[in-house]
Amino acid sequence: MKKMKLLAVAAAALFAGSLAAAPQVGQPAPAFTVKDSAGQVHSLQDFAGKNVVLEWTNHDCPFVVKHYQGNMQQLQQEMTSADVVWLSVISSAPGKQGHVDQAKSDELTSSRSAAPTAVIFDEDGVMGKAYDARTTPHMYVIDKNGVLQYMGGIDSIPSAKVEDIAKATPYFANAGKAVLAGQTPDPAVTRPYGCSIKY
Amino acid sequence: MRLLVTLLCSILLCFSAAAAASSSGWQQAKHLQAELVSEYQTVQAGQSVLLALHFIPDEHWHTYWINPGDSGLPTSIDWHLPQGVTAGSIQWPTPQFFSIPPMMNYGFAGPTVLLTELKIPTDFAQKELEIAAKVDWLVCEEICIPAEASFQFSIPVSENAERSAYAAELISKAQASQPQPLALSGYYDIAGDSFSAAIAGLPDEDFQGFFVAATELVDHAAPQQLLFSEGEWLLRQKLNTYFTQAPEQFELVLVSANGQGYSLSLKAAEHLAVAGQLETSNSGQALWLVLLMAAAGGFILNLMPCVFPVLSLKALSIAGNSGQRKQQQSDALWYSLGVVLSFVALAGVLLALRAAGAAVGWGFQLQSPLLVAALAYLLFALGLSLSGLVQFGLGLMNAGGGLTQQKGAKGSFFTGVLAVVVASPCTAPFMGGALGYAVTQPPALALLVFVALGLGMALPFLLLAYIPALARLLPKPGAWMDTLKQLLAYPLYLSAIWLAWVFGRQTGIDALALLLCGAVALAAACWLWGRWQLSQQGKAEPVFAVGFVVLALWLVWFATPTGLVATSAQATAAHWQSWSAEKQAQLQAAGKPVLVNMTADWCITCLVNERVALNTDSSKAALALYDVTYLKGDWTRRDAAITAYLHQYQRDGVPLYVLYWPGQPAEVLPQILTPDTLRQTLERLSKQ
Repeated sequence: MKKMKLLAVAAAALFAGSLAAAPQVGQPAPAFTVKDSAGQVHSLQDFAGKNVVLEWTNHDCPFVVKHYQGNMQQLQQEMTSADVVWLSVISSAPGKQGHVDQAKSDELTSSRSAAPTAVIFDEDGVMGKAYDARTTPHMYVIDKNGVLQYMGGIDSIPSAKVEDIAKATPYFANAGKAVLAGQTPDPAVTRPYGCSIKY
Repeated sequence: MRLLVTLLCSILLCFSAAAAASSSGWQQAKHLQAELVSEYQTVQAGQSVLLALHFIPDEHWHTYWINPGDSGLPTSIDWHLPQGVTAGSIQWPTPQFFSIPPMMNYGFAGPTVLLTELKIPTDFAQKELEIAAKVDWLVCEEICIPAEASFQFSIPVSENAERSAYAAELISKAQASQPQPLALSGYYDIAGDSFSAAIAGLPDEDFQGFFVAATELVDHAAPQQLLFSEGEWLLRQKLNTYFTQAPEQFELVLVSANGQGYSLSLKAAEHLAVAGQLETSNSGQALWLVLLMAAAGGFILNLMPCVFPVLSLKALSIAGNSGQRKQQQSDALWYSLGVVLSFVALAGVLLALRAAGAAVGWGFQLQSPLLVAALAYLLFALGLSLSGLVQFGLGLMNAGGGLTQQKGAKGSFFTGVLAVVVASPCTAPFMGGALGYAVTQPPALALLVFVALGLGMALPFLLLAYIPALARLLPKPGAWMDTLKQLLAYPLYLSAIWLAWVFGRQTGIDALALLLCGAVALAAACWLWGRWQLSQQGKAEPVFAVGFVVLALWLVWFATPTGLVATSAQATAAHWQSWSAEKQAQLQAAGKPVLVNMTADWCITCLVNERVALNTDSSKAALALYDVTYLKGDWTRRDAAITAYLHQYQRDGVPLYVLYWPGQPAEVLPQILTPDTLRQTLERLSKQ
């Protein structure tokens, strides 16, 4: 027990430096420069003037699987057709569960009929930690001015059961619609739920 | 042989039947096997029965607590029970930390038992209790596997409940692994980016970690600060990025060094603030009670041996002169006026003293050991006086005697004044309470209390004037009065001991010994003075008496402010002064650096900051090094001047820390102080 706690403290101390400032809704979203599955580099400022969605993902995570039964793909299609940039981010470190190469990533996108703008490989976890991303799925909405408008869970029922999707309040979908309509999401911060990100 | 086989078979059958009645049997899932077990194999109507959900995960795999931490899901049970049977919530064991940097989870590795209590109604008529439960869990190592399983079994219902031997050990182990519930609550609040909590009354253990049952409140992976200070455990942890709303209350589990868990509830301290306000508005309601008690106290003063003779003489004269009713009534009114005005004058002197004290920055600090010691001496000396060692107030009595001899209104008025003056030596215990209350109250209220005291004292006389028949009920003056006086000395001695104990707590055993030596010197002084009062000759006795009094005072003065004062309580009391806008302005005008701390009793963040960062030796040294005056404002009762000060810094709550360095703009310190904040800020400001 004591060892565990010491570990936790040491770990937290180590990461306190990298977590310089926690992301805050209503404030500029943390900047990032990352490569996608095709090797192309993306930066947040490249998307100035566009609404951006960040989705942390891990294809084997049961909570991700729950939403990839159709819900996530539908959201991706709706948002991207409204000219939203949708980035699916994989922060699993090389050798960790959920880490994929380009071929596997492409295969996952086509086999699941996923429709993100790009799949981001955040192998060193810098982007994930800048956003304090913890779970898969974990959702963020950034508006046209680069201001973080929403962060948290995809919906209100933390479970791995598909049938709960219909019963839940779709926090992320509501937030996305609000931002598209130029409004402030309410709630703007919710509890993220799912598997831990394998940094 | 055949017999043996049959016997074995029947035993096995029996055993499996018993097990069937108290267990669902094992279910195998990925990386975890589970069964549901009943405490009883036969139940009866009207009883409670514990059901144990028993998990055995594979090695390195774990399930989750009610607050799973940064990821994961708590186990949930959906009960399907016969009508009338109810299930309580899950009784969780003490959780463990699972650190997966940069994240933290709370849960259970190894065999885990979650208990739930079922209540069977008294009118339960079915032959069998059918239990069905749908259980959802998430079992994780690095990856996570959600699963659900349904458990079902029946327990026979009979006249006599029967415990299951199979379940007994499991359930006792489960109960031992649960945190020990404590019937106490702590308070928490949130300020800046931190969660702070304070809990008093915990068992004497070395606590090493804590678990909050509220999700997304604390940053689970951030370091936990646990500090024991002045009888309270103080907790602090960074706030969760996804924190949105503070729950009114939630469960907290504290874990000691030896792994024992304790559970208690943490309440939002805002409610304390509200309670504080209610208390303020309720003080109007308590006022009539205070006034009634003051009047009762005044009434009792009449029984004091110093007052009673005056009263009885007047009373007897009233009873004797029934013809002059008008004259008596007028006398009684004048007497009452004399009593009340004397009390008002006394209150006026007290309030003037208080105002003068406050103006020079000397508040009535009842915590000051010097004041406590002086009060102990006073009560001891008054006790000695009541015991007959010495007479106080003789001079006053003689001076007033002449005036009371006059006839009519003037005579009556001064009899009233005399009664108050003469009463003072033997009324101290009663007056003490009223005085103590008055010094802490606004002037108008203090005056009212003293008026009530006066009215209470004059009441018997007024009654006698208007209802002369009451005079027959008066006891005759006599030896009993002296006995009463001497008896009253003992409560005074006890009060003196109590004060001496308080003084001892504040200072230490050495200082207490000096105080007691001083008390002996005081007794000697009283004895000498008393002898001189009887003989009225010789100069040696008064000189020695004064010498002993001086010695007694010198002893406590020597004991308190010097190195004998060892404890930190005293040291902390000295390193700040109470805030006022004027005091701050004066200090700033004099070019002195000033630290202002706005705090309130119900502000847990303030409390933790003070203990962690301001009352520390290093911060005290820094304040002394840079000659900073530390002013503390108490916003517990929403003082208006402090509210205005907070608005100046766009704040509507505490804590607020502001450092004023001469010639520089005011520096607002963060709401969450670390042990180094003050020293570092002072270092930086002094170099600019």
